Amino acid sequence: MFLKRTLPLLIVFTIGSLAFVHDFIPHPLSGEFRSEMASWMMIIGGFGMFLGVYSLMHMHITRIRQKMAGWGYSVFVFIGAVGMIATGVYGDIVGVSKDDIDLFDWGYKYIQVPCGATIFSILAFFVASAAFRTFRAKNMAAGLLLGAAVIVMFGRVPICEAVGGWVFNDRQAIVNVANAIMNYPNLAVKRGLLLGIGLAAIAQSVRVLFGVERTYLGGAD
Amino acid sequence: MRTPEINRKRFELARRCVYVVIALAVIIPYFFNPKQEFKPMAEVVSVYEKIDAMKPGDQVLMAFDYDPSSEAELYPMSMALLRHCFKKGVIPVIVTHWFAGLGLFEKACNEAAEDANSMWGKKIVSGRDYALLGFRPGWTDLIVKIERDLKGAYETDYFKQPTRGMKALEGVNSLEDFELMIDLAAGATVEFWIAYGTDKSGTPMAAGTTAVSAPDLYPFYKSGQMIGFMGGLRGAADYEKLLKIPDRGERGMLAQSAAHIIIILLVLGANVHMFAKRLFGNKRD
Repeated sequence: MFLKRTLPLLIVFTIGSLAFVHDFIPHPLSGEFRSEMASWMMIIGGFGMFLGVYSLMHMHITRIRQKMAGWGYSVFVFIGAVGMIATGVYGDIVGVSKDDIDLFDWGYKYIQVPCGATIFSILAFFVASAAFRTFRAKNMAAGLLLGAAVIVMFGRVPICEAVGGWVFNDRQAIVNVANAIMNYPNLAVKRGLLLGIGLAAIAQSVRVLFGVERTYLGGAD
Repeated sequence: MRTPEINRKRFELARRCVYVVIALAVIIPYFFNPKQEFKPMAEVVSVYEKIDAMKPGDQVLMAFDYDPSSEAELYPMSMALLRHCFKKGVIPVIVTHWFAGLGLFEKACNEAAEDANSMWGKKIVSGRDYALLGFRPGWTDLIVKIERDLKGAYETDYFKQPTRGMKALEGVNSLEDFELMIDLAAGATVEFWIAYGTDKSGTPMAAGTTAVSAPDLYPFYKSGQMIGFMGGLRGAADYEKLLKIPDRGERGMLAQSAAHIIIILLVLGANVHMFAKRLFGNKRD
């Protein structure tokens, strides 16, 4: 009980409190403590990456073993991971001369970069399709949202300046309206959200610090 | 009376039509290269002016916190910033929280160095004119470490060269020694840099994000916690225009204009259809 619950709670309280108060102690020791803690956390973060890789591999092995829907895609995870690790380690140990093709670089430039960019670019199609199907001015609030979205979307592309010049005799007319939407209603909402998130984070931190929130210990209580 | 099967087919057809129209709107403009007149946004101008006012040898910390999936928007910003630094003799020091982007950052440094050589006859050397420090794990803790002890966080750079004694890092020990900090982010790192880095050190900060994240930066910009920012491809295009070196950002503006107009027309068209149905009462659906 002591090792499983009390000791971890004591460690969390001690380290958490020190991390909290160090900012208010203008002494070099306090700064050194935080810097040392950051180094420890970076090392732990490195091990955390191994844990992440293990978790990913475990999930995909399970999918392949149980022949779950789409298990074929999981095979590509292993092909990609093994291929990149093997070429990377080979390049590092044996070395690749400037005249030879570095397979690791080749895989990165011609597979990972285009695939990553492709996945992101597909978003444009989904956004267009979803906006077309669901963006309806069914009530006043939805109408306002639609109007703001249209103005900001139009105000963020260069052609709006030409249109502003033709219609309003002022190239910046539409841009100014779009900027006003971003600078006032958008800003107010974002500030409200940030304040809410900040207060919630403080509340959650206090709960963890005083042992009220203990789910990180592995139990539900 | 329409059956669910007919509705499903109509939905599929409409979706495919939208996809084709968007694809054409994005692809066709790349075959044309008309000169587009637009005024750079104030939040981008302030970033440009800050770097432009720097002296040769000043150092800028750049966090390239993105990977290939955000390359379309953030890589042009990286190129514009690096070119500007190399043109002015300002030394960019590059770090990242995203290891998957390292190949892109090395490519950006090499391309910008080649441009500096061909455009201004400057020979840019790693470790002297710029430092690519690379990736370290730790997220906020990496920022805390950099804020206090940069060379402790990065004992070697991306090319395994020791950072102690490196010419590009002369006089730099912590975040406060930099003239400016810029985070090009595909995620939430801008807030981390503000909270754990620049607010503490007092270093002026700027940012560049994907267009979808740009609205999140207004509170920090308006409160003075950031001197400016670039949002999406438009932000990159604005910077290229100020730098007078047009590249992917400016070239992409026509495609972006076309795509935005198509989406606006589709949304307005769908709403007109909805109101028409309400007015003229098509009860068969």
